[in-house]
Amino acid sequence: MSSHSNHNADIHDEVNYDPTVWVPHTHSHGTKDIWLKFWILLGLTVIDVAFYFVMPPSMARNIIFIALGIVKAIYIVGTFMHMKHEKLGFASMIIIPMMFIIFFIAWMLFEGNFWGTI
Amino acid sequence: MSTQTIAQSSTWGGGNSPFKVSYGKLMMWVFLLSDAFTFSSLLTAYGAIRYSFSSTDTFIEDVTPAKLEADGIPMRDGRIDFTFADNLIEKYTPDAAAHTSHGAEAHADHTDYFVQKMGETGIFSESHWPSPDLVFNHFPGFGIIDFHGMHLPLIFVSLMTLILILSSVTMVLAVEAGQRADKDAVSKWMLWTIIGGFMFLGCQAWEWTQFIGAGSRMYSNPYGPPTFAALFFGVTGFHGFHVFSGVVLNIIIYVNNLMGTYEKRGHYEMVEKVGLYWHFVDLVWVFVFTFFYLI
Repeated sequence: MSSHSNHNADIHDEVNYDPTVWVPHTHSHGTKDIWLKFWILLGLTVIDVAFYFVMPPSMARNIIFIALGIVKAIYIVGTFMHMKHEKLGFASMIIIPMMFIIFFIAWMLFEGNFWGTI
Repeated sequence: MSTQTIAQSSTWGGGNSPFKVSYGKLMMWVFLLSDAFTFSSLLTAYGAIRYSFSSTDTFIEDVTPAKLEADGIPMRDGRIDFTFADNLIEKYTPDAAAHTSHGAEAHADHTDYFVQKMGETGIFSESHWPSPDLVFNHFPGFGIIDFHGMHLPLIFVSLMTLILILSSVTMVLAVEAGQRADKDAVSKWMLWTIIGGFMFLGCQAWEWTQFIGAGSRMYSNPYGPPTFAALFFGVTGFHGFHVFSGVVLNIIIYVNNLMGTYEKRGHYEMVEKVGLYWHFVDLVWVFVFTFFYLI
């Protein structure tokens, strides 16, 4: 992976590592997966619209929409943003702090139920 | 030589990149994490404020078709007839001929009339959170095919979603071309991404025009609580400005690539970094679409 050159200017050289210019070697994973994920995202959006017209508004329908949204998010982050090809430690660093958002949503929706009533 | 041994024996001992990611890309991800918090806060605020109001959806169930008809709402098969606009314009406008050309004026009249009638029945009221079904139900006309005055909820915003997903695909194809160091393919896919970005912004401008045309402002809103309009402008405006910034960044990358900057540099990582930002904008839209239009 790393070329054993002694030039600091070699941007791919991990041995003579200069953090200001270093970039890792990247290689293409092909376009097949990208187009597959496009059709999946399109299909999920069509399912969203179908549920919108077929099912009357309810909490169950909202949960379906949120679940489909999370599935779409996983495909966008995983494939389009290459997160599934990153190191596990790096992916964890970005994804684990997201749990604060889950706390925040639960807390604020709970609070929202009381606004205007007390 | 000793540093080399340390670097190879310990992942976190310094002298290498434990995450195998460049500084710029790492910082882009950290920025996107902070931006994810920002958008979550905006959308969570929307949810919390919405929960503090009763929803129109449950309110409509209490309103019987007979009651709506008595209040002057045109009905068909027990449901609100949204295609009534043209007849009403002819009936209530003195100079009917001038308004039936399906121009912007005729459409504005329809929107105002619909909102006014719904307001009279109490469906659009300060105490009920409006149903997106009744607010975002327009689709622009294209010459012969005219959708003005038709009740088409979600259709326009689904088109916007399709445009943004497609522009995300062309972006990731540009990144893939960059990984193969294919300069011409990068240019081609970046150009498509820029076009997709402009199309999305155009759609959003039209959506805002409809909403403002019906009388919505940051501080007032004929569809219900003023906060609804404030949050709509706030969240879609914040997202739209991100799209605009993304288009500007994409244009910079496109021009740089044309000038051969990345060819000389030996890698196309700038395309990847801007691609991350662009995909994030798409990611945010998935949730704006879910919370503002679907739920």
